[in-house]
Amino acid sequence: MSNHESRPAAQAHVHQGIIPSYMLAKLAESERYSHAAEAARQTLIAPAPAQRRAQLQLSIDENGALVATVEAAPNRTISDAHGTETLPGTVVRTEDEPTVADGAVNQAFDGLGATFQMLLDAFQRNSVDGQGLPLDATVHYGSGYDNAFWNGERMVFGDGDGQVFQGFTGATSVIGHELGHGVVQYTAALEYQGQPGALNESIADVFGALTEQHLQGQTADQATWLIGAGIFTPAVHGKALRSMLHPGTAYDDPELGKDPQPADMSGYVKTTDDNGGVHVNSGIPNRAFALFAVELGGHAWETAGSVWYRALTGGLPASATFAQFAKATIAEADKVSTATGDAARMAWASVGVIKAGVGSATGSATGDERTSG
Amino acid sequence: MSEPPADPPAGVPADSDAAGDDGVAIRVARSGGIAGMTRRWSVQPSGSEREHWMLLVERCPWDEKPPAGTGADRFLWRIEVRVRQERHEQVIPEEHLQGPWRALVDAVREADAGAGGA
Repeated sequence: MSNHESRPAAQAHVHQGIIPSYMLAKLAESERYSHAAEAARQTLIAPAPAQRRAQLQLSIDENGALVATVEAAPNRTISDAHGTETLPGTVVRTEDEPTVADGAVNQAFDGLGATFQMLLDAFQRNSVDGQGLPLDATVHYGSGYDNAFWNGERMVFGDGDGQVFQGFTGATSVIGHELGHGVVQYTAALEYQGQPGALNESIADVFGALTEQHLQGQTADQATWLIGAGIFTPAVHGKALRSMLHPGTAYDDPELGKDPQPADMSGYVKTTDDNGGVHVNSGIPNRAFALFAVELGGHAWETAGSVWYRALTGGLPASATFAQFAKATIAEADKVSTATGDAARMAWASVGVIKAGVGSATGSATGDERTSG
Repeated sequence: MSEPPADPPAGVPADSDAAGDDGVAIRVARSGGIAGMTRRWSVQPSGSEREHWMLLVERCPWDEKPPAGTGADRFLWRIEVRVRQERHEQVIPEEHLQGPWRALVDAVREADAGAGGA
């Protein structure tokens, strides 16, 4: 029997599940399972739920011994705005409560949990801030509201207008994307304008895609690399909001137009819309990440995701350009192996952020900008 | 390569004469959001309608710079008004679209409910 403060990585033999508090209390008094009892006591005396939570995981190892592991756990609260624009709304589900009749509430709850678990398994990060920050979300925001956003403190989901967009809780990648903005806020705090803004958006998409892939156990070549699949109504000619692997191909609809994302720097859009086109130009670093992950193979949240995460959390300036971020990711990739570094260089060269065959970023991003309008 | 979004979204573009030299044109555009799609609404009131619309326009604090936006994936509103040869423009983060700004935007959207798009 063993007792660990934190879980090193996902292990196939570990039974996943949050132990209910009544069982923890019972275990804590156990004389037969003394180590498990100690782990249960640690869980019960963990800091108040408002700050951070822990979960006890039990499994049987290859020798038949009971293994008790304490690891961080999410602390989720879902509120309902009831069609208003008043936040936070009324609380409709908290961490220890079972599913409710409202599907949007359960989707938000589960999506928050999937994101939390991906951050923990892939990066050993305890929630958005790394300190067990409670995860709060509001559903049914506004009337026919066509959006989901991160307001700096919580995730907020609209129900969509019903003609173009359905409810925004329906895609795990969207939920992971919004919490990804939270991670960016607590790390590099990238400015939400121009290139750093597009990087902010891209990194949020990376977290969104990784959350979905982690939940479904997909390898990079099995993944769709779509963000927001299922968000459009069936009437729309489109499969998602964005395609990370093939930017510009997510939708092509008579009413909405064609997905405007560029796949490389030759298509960089200079605009005053959308804080400088942050949701458009994010296609460039998105494709770099997807190419990198596919080239490496396996689970994208492992090597590829870790390289991106370390670049994000390794002193990246808030004003970082694509070229600066490329340089940071290549440096992290080189630490893994020469082949990994080469794959990162190839990915960034493919999207025109660095020159092919050159080890450093060109820094010529602005020189290649396309001006719209 | 895909088509870039039009920019500026609610400016008085090539068809700026549509309202005529003594006309009024009010255009609003909503960009951003997680989808990054820009949608537009406009109204060109004429005759007796102008007074009502001018009242809505004049209530807005055009000279006050709105606070910066917070968070991510919020909408960004661009509001542009042309009265004869005079132009006013303001860009307002969604969370600060309140009071007379919200009233003006809601009125334009309601008057132009059939329009919009990427």
